[in-house]
Amino acid sequence: MTRPDDARRAILRAIRENLARGEASRPDPLPGGSPPDPLPLRAGSSQGVRTLFTEQLAAVGAQCTPVCGEAEAGRALARTLAGVHARRVVGSDAPLVQRLLHALGDGFVLEPLDRLSRDELFACDAGVTTAQWGIAETGTLVLESAREKSRLLSLVPPTHVVLLSAGCICESLGDALARVSVASHAITLITGPSRTSDIELTPVVGVHGPQTLHVLLLEEA
Amino acid sequence: MSFERSARAALADEQLRGALRRATTLFGERRRAAMATLPDWEGARDRARAIKDETLLHLDRYLEEFTANAERAGARVHWARDAATACEIIGRIAAERGARTVVKSKSMASEEIHLNAALAARGLEPVETDLGEYIVQLAGEGPSHIVAPAIHKTRGQIAALFAEKLGVEPSDDVAALAAAARQTLRRRFAEADLGISGVNFAVAETGTILIVENEGNARLTTTLPRTHVALMGIEKVIPRFADLEVFLELLPRSGTGQRMTAYQSLLTGAKRRPDDEGPEELHIVVLDNGRSAMLASPVTRQTLACIRCGACLNACPVYRQIGGHAYESVYAGPIGAVLSPQLFGLARSSELPYASSLGGACRDVCPVKIDIPALLLHLRAEVVGRRAGKGGVLERLAFSSYAAVMARPRLFEWVMRAARMLRILPPIGAWTKFRDLRPLAPRSFREQWRAGLRDQAAP
Repeated sequence: MTRPDDARRAILRAIRENLARGEASRPDPLPGGSPPDPLPLRAGSSQGVRTLFTEQLAAVGAQCTPVCGEAEAGRALARTLAGVHARRVVGSDAPLVQRLLHALGDGFVLEPLDRLSRDELFACDAGVTTAQWGIAETGTLVLESAREKSRLLSLVPPTHVVLLSAGCICESLGDALARVSVASHAITLITGPSRTSDIELTPVVGVHGPQTLHVLLLEEA
Repeated sequence: MSFERSARAALADEQLRGALRRATTLFGERRRAAMATLPDWEGARDRARAIKDETLLHLDRYLEEFTANAERAGARVHWARDAATACEIIGRIAAERGARTVVKSKSMASEEIHLNAALAARGLEPVETDLGEYIVQLAGEGPSHIVAPAIHKTRGQIAALFAEKLGVEPSDDVAALAAAARQTLRRRFAEADLGISGVNFAVAETGTILIVENEGNARLTTTLPRTHVALMGIEKVIPRFADLEVFLELLPRSGTGQRMTAYQSLLTGAKRRPDDEGPEELHIVVLDNGRSAMLASPVTRQTLACIRCGACLNACPVYRQIGGHAYESVYAGPIGAVLSPQLFGLARSSELPYASSLGGACRDVCPVKIDIPALLLHLRAEVVGRRAGKGGVLERLAFSSYAAVMARPRLFEWVMRAARMLRILPPIGAWTKFRDLRPLAPRSFREQWRAGLRDQAAP
């Protein structure tokens, strides 16, 4: 067994020697460093971008309800949760999510995220989070771990309800990649519910992750 | 068993061929529909290939940059020259943490190094959690397709397998089968203390690894256990974060015909604060296992541009008939036929470069424009070059005589006349084993031509 540093040196040496055999001279690497600054939000979350986003959400099997202001968002959240017969609900630490959940009223059991065991989390019916960005061209939601504890809630319960500010819809994946920050150790891109086609290429939703993905698209009141 | 014999066995399996025909046709249709949603498909292919070429020419530099940035973000990077070392590293990580249940998401590199067998030998129980991989693991098989591991199985076969292994009611309902797998695997996720994943792209600029999937099992694997081990070949690195865009445009469209798969996880190091979500440790194992040798020529180097989308399998007239298992390698289809001999040695897979019609469908669908037919010819030349002894002498003699005859018109005519009279066909056994060679015409064109002139001149 070689020492770890030996393996690293040996692989790098093998790469250099083999490249030297194939190329008389190696051109200089492309100018490295950071990618160009993000373009200004194309069409700035205009009506067209918003329409494209909601169309793509529908195309990938996600539901979308536009809401105006927090009060309407709260009512839509209650309707959405009732619609999937969710009782045990767990929300992220985002202040907006916490405010909406605590205004939900009777009929729901609010589970505390930071004290849930794995088994208790698996028993939850719905997870509620925000998303930091949307991507219009693909109907994608972008969740950044540095902004909110949303990794498990957006994944484990059978229903995921997402609050997204309508002003945060990027046109393309490239726009979104230019905006996210790797200060987040986990950035998750979500496009529709969990799905598989592993048996006879027949689509099934909800295999490991949520079966239902519902976006509440929030316009400022 | 040789490729020839296993291919024959596959050809006789009607159920297998039906499953393959339906699946590969559907994959092809979905891919074409998805391609149309990208305005400049050709431009995206060229751009992706240029990025890969640039990376491979400076692979040492980009790997070092990736390592430095991943470690700065809190990951531990391990280097493995070969399969045994990679298994040893991962086995030791598991042992040191007292891991018992190991959950795995799909990783072709882990199949390549036979990681599951190595972990089982240490008393661990690795559980495949991708539905297709779970099915083939239950069946005691390997994957037969890069993207859809259980593509060779019908729902009836899977229903029978689940009834036997999981004790569930046999059901032909695909949703019920998926639900049974979800329920069983949730229990394994609940107790897992180590998660092992593959890597689709590794970004040098940020030290980020990206994992592409649809089911959510890779997210569970990389979020729930305390320790996450990601296994990547040295060729997975790309220079910049912004380069991810073009690859995420090409990979889902080429692989499954989706504009975007359900989930992409971009992971940069381990969690930063104690109360963050996710594993406490991220170990990244960088695997060579024969890859660096492919850098030695521009022809073989392009093998490392592959992003494992599986489009060439679905387009290949050979794969479509025989499926993945006949290749007797974890990598099947056109890319498998060029990858396997280079990774595992020509001696072990000398037949694979011939498992192609050289029609070029694989090259046409490849999102990074790998010239697979050129690679196949290159490898065939190597096979022939290595063949020493009697066969080689006879072959050289045959070709030098052929060259001598073809260069002399008189001699050619004489030889052909003799061949027609004696009804001799050239002794090209390997060629005529699977193909019919038309018998020589009773009269050559020249003879007919001369006779025709005489006939016309007669009246």
